[in-house]
Amino acid sequence: MQTGRTIRLVVPLAAAALAAAACGSSSSGGNGSNSGGSTPTFTIAYQGPLSGGNQQLGLNMSFAVKLAVNQANAGTTFGKLPFKLAFAQEDDQGTDTAAPAAVAKVLQIQNLIAVVGPAFSGATAASEPTYSKAGVATVSPSATNPTLATSGWNNFFRVVADDNAQGPADALYMGKTEGLKKAYVIDDASSYGAGLAKAFLGAASSNGLTVVKHDTAPASSQCVQGSTGNVQQYGPLAQKVKASGADSVFYAGYYCDFALLAKQLRSAGFTGQMVSDDGSNDAHYVSQAGTSVANGTLLSCACQETITSAGFTAFAPAFKALAGFPSGTYSAEAYDAANSIIDVMKEKGASVTKADVISGLHATGFSYQGISKDVKFAANGNYAGSAVYMYKVVKGVIKEIGLIS
Amino acid sequence: MCLTQHFSTYFVQGLANGFLYALIALGYTLVYGVLQLINFAHSEVFMLGGFGSYFVLQHAIHGQPHGFMSVLLVLAGLLGGALAGGLAAFVLERVAYRPLRRRNAPKLAYLISAIGASFFLLTMAGKEFGRQQASIKHPYTNGTVFTFFGAQVQTDYVVVAVTGLIMLVFLDRLVAKTRLGQGIRAVAQDADTAGLMGVDIDRVIVLTFVIGGVLGGAAGFLFGLQNGVFYGMGTVPGIKAFTAAVLGGIGNVRGAVLGGLLLGIVESLSISCINTSWTDVVAFVILVLVLLVKPTGILGESLGRSA
Repeated sequence: MQTGRTIRLVVPLAAAALAAAACGSSSSGGNGSNSGGSTPTFTIAYQGPLSGGNQQLGLNMSFAVKLAVNQANAGTTFGKLPFKLAFAQEDDQGTDTAAPAAVAKVLQIQNLIAVVGPAFSGATAASEPTYSKAGVATVSPSATNPTLATSGWNNFFRVVADDNAQGPADALYMGKTEGLKKAYVIDDASSYGAGLAKAFLGAASSNGLTVVKHDTAPASSQCVQGSTGNVQQYGPLAQKVKASGADSVFYAGYYCDFALLAKQLRSAGFTGQMVSDDGSNDAHYVSQAGTSVANGTLLSCACQETITSAGFTAFAPAFKALAGFPSGTYSAEAYDAANSIIDVMKEKGASVTKADVISGLHATGFSYQGISKDVKFAANGNYAGSAVYMYKVVKGVIKEIGLIS
Repeated sequence: MCLTQHFSTYFVQGLANGFLYALIALGYTLVYGVLQLINFAHSEVFMLGGFGSYFVLQHAIHGQPHGFMSVLLVLAGLLGGALAGGLAAFVLERVAYRPLRRRNAPKLAYLISAIGASFFLLTMAGKEFGRQQASIKHPYTNGTVFTFFGAQVQTDYVVVAVTGLIMLVFLDRLVAKTRLGQGIRAVAQDADTAGLMGVDIDRVIVLTFVIGGVLGGAAGFLFGLQNGVFYGMGTVPGIKAFTAAVLGGIGNVRGAVLGGLLLGIVESLSISCINTSWTDVVAFVILVLVLLVKPTGILGESLGRSA
């Protein structure tokens, strides 16, 4: 109240506990390069989110890589190898800010041969310049941003199709297979959603699909902490969709906001087909939207979840025994990524180098029969081949329909 | 053309959203009225109200309720949200504000304290309740109750509008007629004089916080019914409600209600015309225009004159 007085500041300090950054676990192999006498040891490292909100995705992958290493050492997958393998993992929290520190730690591993990862697109973009300079092959099980392959990194590989493959595949499926005519396209304003919507829009008309309208509804603070979208937007937006006369909605974004939109669409009386992407391809979509709303929704993914290959039936129980939880999204891809590397190493023998792995993966004849797909790479490191699958919610369960492109 | 087509539908939706804004806005406006400070932690009180009702209904609902049971369960959820919100606001006042008031701290300290409390509650909720969105069990089956000029009015909207209206009228009467209301208005007008006249300022302030918390918590329940609960759910509705309070005239109870309803309707109608991502632009342009003409908001500030 009294002004002009020296102020005794009584600031209740929210004690900012600085989380010590040094927590990522390091090389678990431990035995140096010459421990086995004549047989050298090489380390395959995994880099991805091992803490934070997306930790589960990281664990799905890291245990799969560890399993691949264990099985190779035991001789179950590749027979007797002229070298031993060790496994290491590094936490990049799935972010571009934490990635450079993780890369630095990975590169300190003495007998490093190649990396499975980085897992997320942003983290990958931040990591590749360093890996590329160090000449270390990186095989990502899950980074789908299209530009990663066109940045000139010779060491970059991925075993998933990129987002440019998914959008057109969705348009193709909606227009040709489902025979839909008028699509209302909504993206969540994220770089993923906007990019996917753009890819979809580009391919819509050629598949007989008229885009009635393209709307951007920013992801809401109801779903992503700190985002700016207002969840109240979905009610009016659903009315707008219904009034537009569209027979289908394509949503490019993540499951949480999609579930809220889907609920409003149905409650507004929209009866058309709802379609979304791999960001929505999660059981949480069904539980949050409710079974009656979610039923019939089409969800695409550059991943194959209900894998029926013979290899997968052996993989699933082995994974569960090692990890303590069942394999999940991108487990199979990570397993294939690790085994592709080991396959190349086996060919080169005990004297294999980091450069050999890069050139081996680039070799035109390279092909590895994995459990999720037949792994082959295009010249830019992209997965060579079609691998977008369509899923449908049937009686509350996300069921695979099949390969759509 | 976009406005005339399905006008009533967008209007009804906007009205339902507006009631929610109004309920939250009252928390900001009441506290501003008596303390002249913005309680930035109010968005987290709203969030905790949502979680309060979530836990109550999680335990209370088995199967799909209907009929009279539904009404009881809505009341139970409302009570859970209101209690959680009121309790959170009470604790907030005790921990984050009263110690500062005792020491005659400058206004800036309150602001920082409020922001700190907001972050604390947000992070704690994320840790305790998980960082996944959760759906509140529905106490009734949502469906069309009646049509209003061609707009289908859903049960959700009816519940929001009816409870919102009852609470708003109740609050208006409370501030205008009761002894506590007199105390609130007296403190708002001149705290020192009110103290000299025998008004227990501490009691009035804490009760003002609790009333705001009860309304915010109830809004958390109504909001959660439609959208589920999430530890970050308060952020954007909080900002919107604060905007509504300023629009109507902060410190003014009826102004907050008017601002909330207006904001909800404007947002809804704007979505019918332009890209959804431009909603905020429209809302804030209107705010700026109103403030240019009437810097104290539509009804002017001052809780003292609100009756």
